[in-house]
Amino acid sequence: MSQDQLVELSRLLYSPTTLLLYLGAAFFYLYALTTTVGRREERRRGRRAQLVGGVLAVIGIGTHVAHEIVRGLAQDRLPLGNMFEVTSLMALVGVVTGLVYLQFVRRRPELNGFVLLGGSLVLALALLMYADPGPLMPILDTWWRPFHVSLLVAAMGIFAAAFVFNALYLLRDTAERSVAAATTARSGGSTVGAAYIGDLEQRPDGPGDPTPHGERPDDDEVEREHARAYRDELRKGIPVLRLAVGTFLGTSLVSWVFWYSEASTAAGVSRFLSVNLVMVATALLARWFVPFLPATATLDGLAHRTIAFAFVLWTVGTIAGAMWAEISWGRFWGWDPKETGAFLTWIAYAGYLHARATRGVRGRRAAWIGIAAFVVLMGTYLIANYVVVGLHSYAEL
Amino acid sequence: MGASAPPPQANPPVRGSRRPAPAGPLGFVWSSVVMGWRWLTRMRTALYLLGALALMSVIGTLVPQEPNVPSTVLEWREGESGPGVLVSQLLDAFGAFDVYGSPLFNALLLLLYLSLTACLIPRIRAWIRLVRRSQPPLIRHLGRQDASADLVTDATPDQVHATATQLLRRRRWRVRTGPIDPSATAGDAASAATPAHARKPDQVAAEKGLVSREGGSLLFHLSFYVLLGAIVFGQLMTFEGQRGVVEGEPGFRDTAVSYWSYAPGRWFGEGDHAGWRLDLDEFHVDWVRDPMAAGAGQPTEFRSEVTITPEEGEPYEATIDSNRPIDVEGMQVTQLDWGYAPRVVVEVDGEVVHDGFITPQVEDGGAYRGAVKAPAADPDVGLEIFLYPFAPDDDETGRPIPTGAPWDDAPMLLFRQWRGDLQLGATQQTLNELDTSALESEGGAYLRLGQRIEVGDVTIAFPELRRWAGLQVSSRPAIPALLGGAVLLVVGLVASLYAYRRRLWVLARHDEETGRTVVTVAGRAFQRPEAFEVEHAELFEELSTAVEHDHRPGEGTPPGRQPGPPDPTDTPHPNTPDDHEVVRP
Repeated sequence: MSQDQLVELSRLLYSPTTLLLYLGAAFFYLYALTTTVGRREERRRGRRAQLVGGVLAVIGIGTHVAHEIVRGLAQDRLPLGNMFEVTSLMALVGVVTGLVYLQFVRRRPELNGFVLLGGSLVLALALLMYADPGPLMPILDTWWRPFHVSLLVAAMGIFAAAFVFNALYLLRDTAERSVAAATTARSGGSTVGAAYIGDLEQRPDGPGDPTPHGERPDDDEVEREHARAYRDELRKGIPVLRLAVGTFLGTSLVSWVFWYSEASTAAGVSRFLSVNLVMVATALLARWFVPFLPATATLDGLAHRTIAFAFVLWTVGTIAGAMWAEISWGRFWGWDPKETGAFLTWIAYAGYLHARATRGVRGRRAAWIGIAAFVVLMGTYLIANYVVVGLHSYAEL
Repeated sequence: MGASAPPPQANPPVRGSRRPAPAGPLGFVWSSVVMGWRWLTRMRTALYLLGALALMSVIGTLVPQEPNVPSTVLEWREGESGPGVLVSQLLDAFGAFDVYGSPLFNALLLLLYLSLTACLIPRIRAWIRLVRRSQPPLIRHLGRQDASADLVTDATPDQVHATATQLLRRRRWRVRTGPIDPSATAGDAASAATPAHARKPDQVAAEKGLVSREGGSLLFHLSFYVLLGAIVFGQLMTFEGQRGVVEGEPGFRDTAVSYWSYAPGRWFGEGDHAGWRLDLDEFHVDWVRDPMAAGAGQPTEFRSEVTITPEEGEPYEATIDSNRPIDVEGMQVTQLDWGYAPRVVVEVDGEVVHDGFITPQVEDGGAYRGAVKAPAADPDVGLEIFLYPFAPDDDETGRPIPTGAPWDDAPMLLFRQWRGDLQLGATQQTLNELDTSALESEGGAYLRLGQRIEVGDVTIAFPELRRWAGLQVSSRPAIPALLGGAVLLVVGLVASLYAYRRRLWVLARHDEETGRTVVTVAGRAFQRPEAFEVEHAELFEELSTAVEHDHRPGEGTPPGRQPGPPDPTDTPHPNTPDDHEVVRP
């Protein structure tokens, strides 16, 4: 195969193939999530959907890996040299680690859909930075590069998965709190005996059997009604407008870079808006799935463990970067924009872990710190490449 | 059971008695100091300080930094670029042009380390106490723990406890055994006299992870002192000098005076130079020249072939590659920069006033900019040089068209001539720049390689084009200490994030009704409950197999037999001897 064909093939494997497979897998997993509260035959269908989602996800990962290999062949080097490649690998690592961790370590496959959704978003983000394959500058042609870059890219991908868990935690927590407040208000200050039946039965702590299939189908039906009402209540607990505007503004903290870096204002605004609106749409979709999420403590724990893991990778990757800088640029730390970005991200996630380690700063506040840390990560990643010129700039774009 | 159960010693008190504050104005000072110290030791303070440091590094990214890009800072100060003179003055007042060297940054760093110290001292004391004295408490209600599972066996409670102790000790748990009621330990004779099943229940309490968890966290934080020490030591002992060398021309010696830029640490003396000599034999560079190829114009190779001549000893050859600096007698020589080195000959009235290679540096647009300074002429001759390495002739006009391409297939030297006073030594000027304040322009022209041109009474020739390499010589004795600090940091980090402190209790009771022994294995983790859940299940399984294995009749378990999964409703063994007859040594 010629070089051009390889390039074309790698592009096709990436988009639409991998993108669609991830989105399809996410769809099936999310559909399976909605059936966990349904009737027996519905749940059976959900299990089948989960299976299909799993198969699609595995094929998607396969095509994604194939894309990386073909791209590597097309340019005769590891695909770790520019922003598109780094972001694409970030998605791959996030999806693979997230799925393996959820499926085999924590045994919470019902969350796979959200990880795949997050992976698809990162995948799509990479398309905004697409660059054709090319050779590498000689200064990058050393084993230090895959070592340093892959550690940091892996950390980025896992941080992205942690962001998904933190965001879901905040959604679920907000919903539960507002339902609890509403129930308290209705029952005159006491929550005793005021819970919905669904509140007791539907603790969506897993895809277990939430409704006992008793002798009397009528009771079953009543309980199902209550459960539905509780789910609606949970959704209503998150104001749509606030969520949408908040997501829009929060995304803008990072996505202004696309506006800024584009030469023509029209193209810049359209990029900026499309990134923001996709994020808003995802947030609204996640809001609809809030009633099916596991307990907040589970989500909180998932976020914490993933961040802890990624933080170690980030630390080692940054140290490796300093070692490489010493032999390549003759100094180990020079406050280059990228170095500053790595430092800031490290500080932000260290802040999260400290907040968790200190009693009292758990739950919501810790989750917000985690969200802010991801904003710092993505912000410094984009700013150090698009806005401020530094020594790392030649490696990107 | 009595109420005199020993209090748990999980977290022994740390602080001793506090001295009361003295009265009077001294008391005010004292209490202020105490208050300040307490503020400093708060975790929140440390986080604020870290946040302030982060903010300063953001400023350092957005505002040009004098040590990195002095020319841009100069432009900002003069209002030629940036937000204007007024803002620049404001930035200067706050030291924003040199954030990392500003007093504010250093003060923050000092406060952060003070805060860290204040936070660590009590933690280290508490940790040492914990490691030396902590014992897992004996508890009454095992079922209340986060993880709990029961097991029924025919082994006696004592046997089970012995097995559990052995198992946990082997897995390096800190184990404590004993009855909940201390009166039961009144004497061995007494306990031997009472039948096992009538005694107050014994239990095995165990704890693990109390050294590694907190110890890891402490190691992580202590590594910052190693890093700080190494950086300070490095600042004092380091040496960094840069120098450009032209191919085939005499190089330079490692002495204090031979570098273009010279930045020794305070403790780096002139005597610390090794005095070796470096000559550049050849500099290799190449690019992707095909304009249609991917990555067109990107360089593919940078390589310097050099000859090193030690002060004593034979000269030898070496190659400096992009990622392969060489080590010369403890000094690292790194290749940082390169450029074309045209030889420029200047004659005034037939007399040669300048004949040598200049070392122009590349600018935006692909021109290599440099200067020729000839103070030997009267008045001085200065040439502003722009070298375009690839400027082929236009087919129609026959005039060279400068391109941005960096390869020297059609070099063109563009110059502007200045006469007057170069002010060498009088004003600050770099090698490649003229101070034109006392010079007058005499017009310019361009030269092809090998050509010469006369401008008035001055003849300028461009007979040769070579390359030069910018080398950095550095000595950083603190690098091993820095690496050691980094290793400590990572080890401590992994331990503090992955180790977890947990307690486990094994309580075996004789059940009067069935005549068998009920074993409860319960525990809880202070951190990482999800990991402990798995560990608890594992331990439970191992304990149940061990109990079964240890107390099988005749101890004759056939080899190779794998015990099955734990079964709380353990099948009875018909041949098991009476529990009470088994006497432990």
